[in-house]
Amino acid sequence: MTENIYLPRMATIQSMRPETIDITTFRVTIDGSDESERFEYKSGQFAEVSVPGVGEAPISISSSPTRPGAIEFSVRRVGELTNALHELEPGDKIGIRGPFGNSFPLEEMEGRNLLIIGGGIGLAPLRSVILNVFDNREKYGKIDIVYGARSPQDLVFTSEYEEWQKVDNTRLHLTVDRGDANWKGNVGLVPTFLRELHPSPENTTSITCGPPIMIKFVIEALNEMGFPSEHIVTTLERRMRCGVGKCGRCNIGSKYVCLDGPVFTLKQLKEISSD
Amino acid sequence: MKATSQEVQDSVKKLFEDRRISHFVGYEAGSDSLRVTPCFLKSGQAVSRLVWNPLCANNLAKYLLDLRQADGTVGILVKGCDSRSIVELLKENQIERDKVFIVGVPCNGIVDKEKLLTVLGISPGDVVAVEDDGDAFLVTTKEDKRRVGKEQVLRGECLVCRYPTPVIYDVLLGEAIPRLPWVRDDYSLVRELEEVSVQERARYWNKELSQCIRCYACRNICPVCNCPECIFDKKAPRWLSKANDISENLVYHLIRAFHVAGKCVDCGECERACPMGIPLRRLNKKVEKDILELFGYTAGIDVKQQPPLTKYQVGDLDEFL
Amino acid sequence: MVNQKKTRVIEKGRLTELLDKLAQDYHLIAPVQANDVSFRRVESGSEVTLNYINSVLSPKNAFFPQTETLFRFFRDDNRGFQIEPSVEGDREQVIFGIRPCDARSLRLMDKVFNGQYQDSYYLNKRKKTTLVGLACFEPDETCFCPTFGIDPASGQDVDILFSDIGDRYLVETFTEKGATLLGKFAQFFGEPRGDEEQLRKARKAGLGKMKKLDVSAIADKMAPLYGGDYWDSIGLKCLGCGICTYLCPTCHCFDIGDVNLDEGGERFRCWDSCMFPEFTLMASGENPRPNRKTRIQQRFFHKLKYFYDRNGELACVGCGRCVRYCPVNIDISQIIKDIASGKAGND
Repeated sequence: MTENIYLPRMATIQSMRPETIDITTFRVTIDGSDESERFEYKSGQFAEVSVPGVGEAPISISSSPTRPGAIEFSVRRVGELTNALHELEPGDKIGIRGPFGNSFPLEEMEGRNLLIIGGGIGLAPLRSVILNVFDNREKYGKIDIVYGARSPQDLVFTSEYEEWQKVDNTRLHLTVDRGDANWKGNVGLVPTFLRELHPSPENTTSITCGPPIMIKFVIEALNEMGFPSEHIVTTLERRMRCGVGKCGRCNIGSKYVCLDGPVFTLKQLKEISSD
Repeated sequence: MKATSQEVQDSVKKLFEDRRISHFVGYEAGSDSLRVTPCFLKSGQAVSRLVWNPLCANNLAKYLLDLRQADGTVGILVKGCDSRSIVELLKENQIERDKVFIVGVPCNGIVDKEKLLTVLGISPGDVVAVEDDGDAFLVTTKEDKRRVGKEQVLRGECLVCRYPTPVIYDVLLGEAIPRLPWVRDDYSLVRELEEVSVQERARYWNKELSQCIRCYACRNICPVCNCPECIFDKKAPRWLSKANDISENLVYHLIRAFHVAGKCVDCGECERACPMGIPLRRLNKKVEKDILELFGYTAGIDVKQQPPLTKYQVGDLDEFL
Repeated sequence: MVNQKKTRVIEKGRLTELLDKLAQDYHLIAPVQANDVSFRRVESGSEVTLNYINSVLSPKNAFFPQTETLFRFFRDDNRGFQIEPSVEGDREQVIFGIRPCDARSLRLMDKVFNGQYQDSYYLNKRKKTTLVGLACFEPDETCFCPTFGIDPASGQDVDILFSDIGDRYLVETFTEKGATLLGKFAQFFGEPRGDEEQLRKARKAGLGKMKKLDVSAIADKMAPLYGGDYWDSIGLKCLGCGICTYLCPTCHCFDIGDVNLDEGGERFRCWDSCMFPEFTLMASGENPRPNRKTRIQQRFFHKLKYFYDRNGELACVGCGRCVRYCPVNIDISQIIKDIASGKAGND
């Protein structure tokens, strides 16, 4: 009997760490002995997370497979399912299907500099690749992380920035759209900030994720600064249901974001009819 | 005399030339000789596409909602029933009177193509044209011309139509038709069900509505179903899922019938659109009859009349309270 | 490989009895006259009608039901859930009277439900169903299956094909599944008399005038039309209802939802339509297909390009249902003509 692709596995919430007023990182373990070990995923993949009785939604995995034992999801409270998730507590159980989708091209990135650009909750899938490359630091060149959010209160993973900045040859550049009295960092939109930083495209792969409008302007900026489209990588969001390329709703042209994505290079996106 | 396609074309061409309209919504020939399809024009160049014949069933008033954003005035071809939908849209301030130019055509009945094919024993490919011929339709087939009595082949809503001439228009093409000779009892379909027990009625509607596939064609084609976000599309709160079981189907149809209560003019489009052949007019006709009996009110006649369910008067019946 | 192709005949008078027997041993699905003709479960041969060109809804419901329970869940004491997959629809089925266009559509649907992830709900039903086709000699004007290489009188995609050649049915078997079924009811079938091919040829005479449109390289021809003005008036005319998608034998979009019951609930899937406005609406409020123009474009691009790009075949079988039932007469055969002739690029 073939495996039933629609049946979720049960997982237990071990902890919930609020990142902002509406974003929380859930740390979960799959039930059943050593199941966590056997949930093999790659950075960039997502899972269909469900609360039985409420529904299911695709959530990017924000932890890295280099740190096994538990899986993390950083979830923004925005719809029916995510609201229900936020109402849960450690010890409660959720359903997990997956991992689904493709992953960040880690092999192609080896030996190259990395420019990782995130906006808002977009840093969540990027965190998976950030931690992954940190854990294999010697394989990659210099790392620049450019990250911004609406306000200082909307920045995610703030408790980890110190650790990140300690990593060899790694810089974290933060910005906010609107500062406050205590904010000492840059103020400005991510694409603008990016242009000001004027990173070199030399032997660099850039990975970006954030609100669609930010991705659009970041890609424009990267193009103008000479980054070639096969080394501009992004991860897209679409409304999904099945997660396995059958329910027909997440396509961009001939590609299904859940199956052929969510990670795409700009070169790939240009080749498919844009939506 | 009934207006011809040529008269419609000439009239619309002149409206464009005189810059009275910037858009026109009418009918043009469809994919076979028994079908017409909505035609959208932005200039007088292609007016020769326009037709007006006994196949023009569509109620085009719905498109006025989509064309609200259009620059300039939108011209539209309407029959009696369609014009009544426009009256309802005006009552609700859904459209502005001076942004619409109404070309009215008195209608001598629209043919139900399934009935026509059955009565004549032919298939769509045999038909070349269908014309109005007074008390009959003149059907030109590949072999001959045949006259078929109207009452046998008219659409259900035409059999009970009391407003063959548009009640609102800027120009009227063709002679006004005071009344249609075959119209007798408006509510025979409703009375048949009123006279049986509640259990019988439940059995009837359960049987019919369990065939519903929830395609929402009935809602989407209806001019007075025009909420920007339909309650049945809402996610939060979610009133209905997309699963179709009889319970959900009943909720959908009954609520829709009540939402259009006092606005439905029995144009018949909902039933024509339904691919499963569900007798939707029967449901809406019952609500129409109740509104008439409770409030003495008929929809779609006079823009100045206020719909009874939007106002409260001390004398209103409240036996359900 | 044993040659499966076997030819038999059955006298018309015996068909009802055969269907009675089939209904006893199998979940028999056949055409039934309701307000219109639909494929339904029947319990006796007398319920079946063969007086139809095609049904309103395609028989895809037998494999991909409009509403289907995926699993049930029960709350346990551990703040968690027990999951029980549904076994609805796990039975031996026979579909009698399926037309060649619909049979082809199942082969196309197989490509969706197979692949890297196997949809066991659909595939299990496919495996357990024997298709008994009914050859089409009197198609409707809206039919255009020859466009897609489908012969309305052949059994390309079925297990057994019945052809009405006058006083009897010619019965041809194409697969082992078909041979197995035929073998169980061998007493109903007789040897061919020798004039069957001639009779069939006479019956096929009317098929020559069927529409056969030019779909050569249509996927490539469509690419530059994306976003073009041609789709403006079609999008304006379109009502945004689900008739075309729900009636289409190759449409497979679905939604998944949960229902709460007393001690738990169930998760089901149900048909959905790319024509509905909230189909691609994200929780954030973004909608990549925010208007009817983009949605209607998606439908035609999917059928004539995207599916072809992924699977090497066009996703239309020319059954004509969308043309027949679209309340505003949007016609895919006209759109194909406009694309092939270049008119769609010039509008």
